[in-house]
Amino acid sequence: MKKTQTKAFTNLICSIILLIFEIWAYTETMDFKVHKRAFVQPATFPQIMICGMAIFTVILFLQSCIKLTRGMKPEDPENEMSASINPFTNRGVAAALFVIILCILYTLLFDKLGYVLVSACVSVIIMWLIGKRDLKVIIPVSILVPLIMWFIFYKLLTVNIPMGVFQPLRDLVDKI
Amino acid sequence: MNWSLLFESYANVFTSIQVIGMAFLGSLGGILLGAVPGMTATMGVALLIPFSFGMDLIPSIALLLGIYCGGMYGGSISAILIHAPGTPSAAATLLDGYPMCQKGQAGRALSIAMFASFCGGVLGALVMTFLSPMVAKMAMKFTSAEMLMLAFFGLSVIVSISGKSIAKGLISAFFGLLLATVGQDPTYGAKRFIFGFRPLLSGFSFIPTLIGLFAIAEVIAGVERIINGEEKQQKSEEKITNVLPDFSTIKKIWPNIISGGLIGTLIGAIPGAGGDIAVFVSYGFNKSSSKHPELWGTGIPNGVAATESANNGCSGGAMIPLLSLGVPGDAVTAVLLGAFIMKGIQPGPMMYVNELPTVYRVFAALMLANLTMLIVGCAGVRFFAKIVSLDKKMLYPIILVVSLLGAFSINKNVFDVGVCVLFGVIGYLMNKFEFPLSPILLALILGPMCEQNFVRFVDVNNGNFWEILHRPIAVGFFLVSVATILFSIYNQQKINKKESENRKKANGEVSRIP
Repeated sequence: MKKTQTKAFTNLICSIILLIFEIWAYTETMDFKVHKRAFVQPATFPQIMICGMAIFTVILFLQSCIKLTRGMKPEDPENEMSASINPFTNRGVAAALFVIILCILYTLLFDKLGYVLVSACVSVIIMWLIGKRDLKVIIPVSILVPLIMWFIFYKLLTVNIPMGVFQPLRDLVDKI
Repeated sequence: MNWSLLFESYANVFTSIQVIGMAFLGSLGGILLGAVPGMTATMGVALLIPFSFGMDLIPSIALLLGIYCGGMYGGSISAILIHAPGTPSAAATLLDGYPMCQKGQAGRALSIAMFASFCGGVLGALVMTFLSPMVAKMAMKFTSAEMLMLAFFGLSVIVSISGKSIAKGLISAFFGLLLATVGQDPTYGAKRFIFGFRPLLSGFSFIPTLIGLFAIAEVIAGVERIINGEEKQQKSEEKITNVLPDFSTIKKIWPNIISGGLIGTLIGAIPGAGGDIAVFVSYGFNKSSSKHPELWGTGIPNGVAATESANNGCSGGAMIPLLSLGVPGDAVTAVLLGAFIMKGIQPGPMMYVNELPTVYRVFAALMLANLTMLIVGCAGVRFFAKIVSLDKKMLYPIILVVSLLGAFSINKNVFDVGVCVLFGVIGYLMNKFEFPLSPILLALILGPMCEQNFVRFVDVNNGNFWEILHRPIAVGFFLVSVATILFSIYNQQKINKKESENRKKANGEVSRIP
């Protein structure tokens, strides 16, 4: 196994990304409003947290560097193969990425199309994606679960949930 | 203590059909509500307050306490079965509960959670009955210095829940503390990390974050596992002969139940600190004091018992300052305070003088609520345990849509659904690269408490932080925190060494196979 495929190497990359993030976050805190009379500024606490995070990121960076340069024992957990995040070589990661995109679309369409329709669509797509092919099960489950959940939240817990195109259904339930 | 009045009050409560019926109804509702990610006991109590308008005080309090106790246990059901804590107080239950479920011991985990929850609740109720004036007096000595050090003590537990890499655990924790600063600064109202995005002014809501980190991340990872053929379908082959844990299990877990219950009660008695903090403190304490800390997190009954007894122990603890001083210990007791006032009773020191029979009946109602929670829980264990045998290909989409609805329902805001998805992605990536998630959660709970008390203390003392050395309770908390950190580091090193030896042995055996 190549060194670049080990968990130690992944940790090294993670620590570099985290260090960049910490530098960016620290520079952001410099723009926070300053109160002349205050003993503790609004930026103080976030800055302490960023410094704390940076200290342990540097430790992770150094640990990874030492392990990669000096070599690791076979039983070292960092010597194992790291998890893949490449959607082009790993179908599972591609599917996970697809679910993330679906979730983002779900959020964007939640208000416009309503909870029941968006949830039913997302359920059908995910079930199909992960290999459930029995439409007699997929469709009723995908429709009934959001409908029942909507009814419980709306009627019993009085949470007003966007219904979008199913608005007439809510009016009907209200009338009943 | 007026013993005859106490027994009379218990007898009154335990023989009233109306009170028993309300406690049952509350427990059932609480368990069902708690099991839905996003629905908390606070929400349940708040929703049912209007229904209790027409009732007498004790039946209405029994109903609300039933929801409170039921919700505490209910949160563990989804934490154990689907890796999505129903309530923040069940966040630590999944550390051992979910691995137990993966081992095919879902029913056992649920029965342990229920039994520990009951014992913790009873312990809390007993402490409340006998020690409430004393505990309340101690808890009220807490100023910003003690609260700051209490938060620090809570954070010291992070080392023991960090897993293999302490550095990664602490990075997660500081990241969580940083996330807790997003929004308006609590003292001066300065905007921090909001990038002109107004919904961020109030920061990230805790519950959508919790649901995202655990439930959504689990769905994304589950889909990946199914596609890669790594997901094993769990079948509920476990025969649940007893809905309560057997004697040998109880023998193993009772020290964890007692310590968890006491930790929960003490932390619950401190205003502002609730079950969400207590469960992590109890988990960390019990893990550190265990002879086999390496087994914690792999799915052992002790982990479930330690956390569940702590979260329900809090219910008794939180009632202590409410009744003794009129100060609610947590969000649920704040709503309960409203219920008392609504009935014309003002909780506080004078309640022990003017309304002693009512105080004793509230003690009895809490005991009854725990008992009804146990009965309702026993009846449901077999049913709940069947959930794991549902086809994962159907279960994951259902978890997704129910969880996202739970995230929405907190503030009725689509922004929270977005936050939930964002943290789902963060949780998925962190899991992939073995950064532990629990420290983020603990940091999000303790971050605001830590910052507010830090700022308050420094301001009150004109910038002199070292004044804290003159506060003995705060110094005590600090020393205990340092001891906890050192002991947890020592324990973790022991665990890593043992694991490394096991790997070495396993490698040696593999190389010997011709």
